[in-house]
Amino acid sequence: MYKLWMLASANIRKTKSVSATLVGMFIIAAFLLNAGLLVVINYGGFFNTLKEELLPADVYYMLPDALYTDEVKAYLDGNEHIPEMQENDMLLLDSKIISKGKEQSFNILFNNMDEQREISKWKFVGEHLPAEEMSVYVPDIFKAVSGYQLNDKIQLKFADKKTAAEKTLSFTVKGYTEDIFFSSSDTGFMGFYLTSDTYKKVADIINNPEYNMHVVFANLDAVDNAKTVESGIREILHLNSASLLAADVSSLFVVIDLELVEMARCMMATMISVMMVVFSMIIVIVCLLVVRFRIVNSIEEDIMKIGSLKAIGYTSRQIILSVILQFLLLAGMGSLAGIALSYPALPAVAAVFEQQSGLKWEQAFDGAISSSALFTLLLIVVLVAWMAARNLSRLSPINALRGETTARKYKRNHLPLEKAKGRLTAVLAFKSVLQSMKQNIMIGIILIAVTFAGTFGVIMFYNTTIDTKAFAEVPGMEICNAIAVLNPEQDQTQAVKTIESMETVRKVQYLDEVKIKVEGSEASAYVMEDYSKKESMLVYEGRYPRSRNEITLAGILAERLHKTIDDTVTVSFGNQEDVFKVVGLSNGSSMGGLNTSILAEDFKRLNPDFKQQALYIYLDKGTDAGGFIKKLEGRFDKKLLLGAVNFDKEMADGMASYQNIVAAMGLAMLVITLLVVVLVLYFVISSSVIRKKRELGIQKAIGFTTFQLMNQLAIGFTVPIILGAVIGSLLGAFYTNTLMSVSMKGMGVMRAGFIVNPYWVVAFGAATIIFSYLLSLLITWRIRKISAYALVTE
Amino acid sequence: MNNVILKTNQLCKSFKSGTQEQRVLKNLDIDIYEQDFTVIMGSSGAGKSTLLYALSGMDRATSGTIRFFDAEIASLNSDKLAVFRRQNCGFVFQQMFLLDNMSILDNILASGLLIGKDRKAIVAYAKELLTKVGLTETIWRKFPTQLSGGENQRAAIVRALINQPKVVFADEPTGSLNSAAGKAVLDVLTDVNNSGQSIIMVTHDLHSARRGNRILYIKDGVIGGECSLGKYVSGDRQRHQKLQDFLLEMGW
Repeated sequence: MYKLWMLASANIRKTKSVSATLVGMFIIAAFLLNAGLLVVINYGGFFNTLKEELLPADVYYMLPDALYTDEVKAYLDGNEHIPEMQENDMLLLDSKIISKGKEQSFNILFNNMDEQREISKWKFVGEHLPAEEMSVYVPDIFKAVSGYQLNDKIQLKFADKKTAAEKTLSFTVKGYTEDIFFSSSDTGFMGFYLTSDTYKKVADIINNPEYNMHVVFANLDAVDNAKTVESGIREILHLNSASLLAADVSSLFVVIDLELVEMARCMMATMISVMMVVFSMIIVIVCLLVVRFRIVNSIEEDIMKIGSLKAIGYTSRQIILSVILQFLLLAGMGSLAGIALSYPALPAVAAVFEQQSGLKWEQAFDGAISSSALFTLLLIVVLVAWMAARNLSRLSPINALRGETTARKYKRNHLPLEKAKGRLTAVLAFKSVLQSMKQNIMIGIILIAVTFAGTFGVIMFYNTTIDTKAFAEVPGMEICNAIAVLNPEQDQTQAVKTIESMETVRKVQYLDEVKIKVEGSEASAYVMEDYSKKESMLVYEGRYPRSRNEITLAGILAERLHKTIDDTVTVSFGNQEDVFKVVGLSNGSSMGGLNTSILAEDFKRLNPDFKQQALYIYLDKGTDAGGFIKKLEGRFDKKLLLGAVNFDKEMADGMASYQNIVAAMGLAMLVITLLVVVLVLYFVISSSVIRKKRELGIQKAIGFTTFQLMNQLAIGFTVPIILGAVIGSLLGAFYTNTLMSVSMKGMGVMRAGFIVNPYWVVAFGAATIIFSYLLSLLITWRIRKISAYALVTE
Repeated sequence: MNNVILKTNQLCKSFKSGTQEQRVLKNLDIDIYEQDFTVIMGSSGAGKSTLLYALSGMDRATSGTIRFFDAEIASLNSDKLAVFRRQNCGFVFQQMFLLDNMSILDNILASGLLIGKDRKAIVAYAKELLTKVGLTETIWRKFPTQLSGGENQRAAIVRALINQPKVVFADEPTGSLNSAAGKAVLDVLTDVNNSGQSIIMVTHDLHSARRGNRILYIKDGVIGGECSLGKYVSGDRQRHQKLQDFLLEMGW
C-alpha cells in the first residue's frame, strides 16, 4: 500500500497545476451536489415538519364579524364536512410599513397571543424578549427582509375610515414568529401577535368594527370540500354577486386552504431547488467528463514511466490501483472541501428562499446526505479511473517504454496538406480537430451543457431584471397600471368616459373576476367584453372567447376536469346554468389555477344582476401610477369610486421577492457556467499542451512561431466550442420555457412564455465563444515556454 | 576557401543547476564555410549538440555573438529565431522527430508551406525530393509509425531540405539506425552536399564523420582541433586513416 501511496502522491506532485484544477472541479461538483441534495431533500421536509408541529387547519375562512351571523355559525358548527374547527378573533388592518427603506402595503392581522390554540398554532423563531406595553411579535420575514431587529420600533400607518386622517400604530418588536398561514405576504395576510392588553388597546385605537374579523380554522373530511363549505357560506350571505375585487372590507370573505399556502410558500423554493439540482447535475457530469479525460491523458503522458514500473516488476494491478488512488485522493480532497463549503453557503440560499416564503430554514450538518454525496462522487471516480486504466494490463512493458499507448493510433490522414485550401495554421488546426474527435466531442458536450445552463440563466435574468412583463404574467393577471373600483350600483358611463379622457390614460377596459361553478366545482372567472383588447395574452392553446357561450379554461382546471378544446362544460351561477364550449387553455395560478375566462354578456345571462366594476386603466409609458391615482381620487367622490389600486406598485412589491430569487439564481448559474468554462478549458488545453509537447516542440524547431502554434491550438479548440455554444444556446433558447413549464406547472404555468430575446441569447453565445477563444490563447501562451531545444534534449 | 556563412565570436553557453553553473561552451570562435560538410565531434558531454543548437538558433547562447551571413542571431527573440530557422535552416535529428499525426508528405509540406510559397511548386518539389532519397509514392501517404527508422530519417532529410535552407543541421542522424539504413542516410546527405548544400553534422560515429570535408573536435567546451579531409570519395582508405589519426591525436 505504501508503494501505491508513493506512486500516487509522486504523480500528484508532478502535475501540480492540473491536479489543483481537478481539485477545483471536484470542489464545485461536490458543493453543488451537496447543496442541491440538502435543499431538495431537507427543505421540502422542513415544511412538513413545521406542519406536524403547528398543526395548521386544512382551510381557514375569514369574514368580518358582521357577516359571521348565527346562521353562518350554525352552518359551520353542524357541517358534516368539518370534523374539527377553531374560531379566533383577529383585527385586520391595511397598513403601510417601512420595509427595506421604503413604505410598503401589508394586510396585517392582529392576533391575540394569549388565546389558546389547538390547531393552526404559531411559534417563536429565534430569540424573543418578554412583552411590554405595545410589544409585538412579527413574522420572521420582517427580520429577514425588512430588517427589524429586537427592540426596534415598527410603525403601521393606516387611514381612519371615518375621518380619512392618517393614524400610526407604533410597536416595539420583541420577537419573531412562524405561523403557517400568516407569515408570508404571498399568502395575503401577515400575522402580528399581541398580548391581550395590547390587542385591546389596538382595537380601541383602530376603533372600527369593520376591521374585526372572525377566522374559522377548519379541518375537513376531504380537502376538496373546502369549496363546498365556501359555497354554502356564500349562499347564506348572498355574496355571489360581489366581484372578487372587494373594495370594501365589510364584504370581505377570504378562503385560503393549506394546499394553496404550501404552494405559495414552497413552490418557488422547490422550483429553484429543482433547478439547482438539475444545474448541479449538469456541472457534476461536466466535471466527471473532464476527470475521465484527465485520467486517460495522464496514462498517455506517463506511459513510459508505467513501462519502467512494469519492467522493474510492478504488476498491472498495482499500477492500476496507483492510478485509482491518485484520482481518489484528488476527488476526496476536492469533494470534502466542496461539501464543507456548501454548509456556510446554505444560509445564503435559505435567506433567498426566506424572502419569498418567510420560512426560516436552518440546515445543520446532515451526515447521511453529505456522506451520500461524497461516496457517490468517489464511487464514480473509482469507476471512471478503473475503466480508463484497465487497458494497462494489456500493455507490454516494452511497448510502454517505447511510448506506445493503447489509445492513440493514427489511421487516417485528414485534410491532406497537398490538397487542403486555406492558411496553414487553420488547416493544421482543423486536422487536429478531426484527429481528436473524442476529445472534441467531449468539449462539445461540455459546452452544450454549460451554454444551455448559461442561456437559461441569461433568459431568467432578462425576464426578471430587464423586461419583467412575462414574469409578471405568471400568476395569470392582466397587466395594467391602475384599477379603479367603481360602485356597481351607480351609473358609471360618464365616469368611464372621464377617466378615458384623462391625461396620460392610454386605454381603459372592464375586467372583473367573479365566482362561478364549472361542472359543479368552484372556480373563478375573468369577465370581459372583448378579449382582443386584452394586453396579457395568456392563452397557450386555442383562443379567448369571441362568441356566445365560449369559455377559456386555465390549464390546471382543464386537467382536473379532463376537458380540452372543443369539449363542453356546464357553467353555473346560483340557479342558472348553461353549456359553454371550451375554446382555449390559459396559464395562470389565480385561485390555485382554477380559473376561467368568459364574455361579459354570457355572465350577464347567468347573473342578470351583474354589473361591471373593475376598470383597468392603462397609462402612457413612464407615467407614475401613484400620482395618477391621487388625481383620480381627487376627481371622483367615494360613492362612485370605491377604491383605486396602484397596480404598478402592487405588482412591483409582489414580484420583488420572486424576481430577486430568480435573478439571483440566473446570475449564480451564469457565474458558475463561466467558472466551469474557465476550468474546463484550462484543464483540457493544459493537458493538451502537455500531451502535444513533442509535436509543438517539433513544429517550433522547424520554424513555427509561438503565436502560430497558439492560434493553431486555439482554433482547434474553438471549433467544438463554437458547435457546443451554438447548440447549447439554441437548446437554451428553445427549451428554457419547456423546462420552466415543467417546474412551474404547479403554479399554473402550463406553458411558460418567458421572453427569449434573440439578441441576448446570441450575445451570450458569441461572448462564450469569444471568451473561450481568448481564454484558449491565454492558456496556450505557455507554449512559449516549450523550446525546441528542450524537446530534443529531453 | 568558400564564403563564411556562420561566424561565432566568444560564444559561451552555461547551464545552471541550482546554485551551480556548468560552462559547456567556452569563448568559441568558429567559422563555418558555405558548401562545406562540417562535422562536429567530441566525447560525450563535450558540448557538440549544444554548439549545433546554438549555431542554428534553436537555443540561446549565454554570451558572445553568432553571425549568420550578415545577420546577428544571438540577440533575436524566440519568434524571430523561429522565422530565421524556417528561412535558413533545415534539421535532421537522431530521433527524426516527425509528427506522428501526419503522413510523410504532410510532414514535409507542413514545413514547406510555412514559407508561404506557391503550394503546387512546393508539393512538386517535395515529391521530387522524396523520390530522390528513394522514398516511393506508396509510402508518401503513410504515417511515420508505419515506416522503418531509415525511411523516416530520409523523410526527415527531405523535410530539412524542402525550404532550400542555407544550412542543414544534423544531430547524430544515424544514431538510431542500423548500419544499412545509416549508410543510406549518409549517402543522401553526401549527395545533397555534393549538390552545394552546406551541412553541419554532429556525430560520434567514425563512419559518419568520414563523410565530412572538415572535422571540428570539441574538448571541454573549446575547439580542441580541426582536420580537413577534402571531398568525400567512397572507399578512400587514406581519408579514413587520416581521420583516425586525428581523432587519436585528440584523445578520442
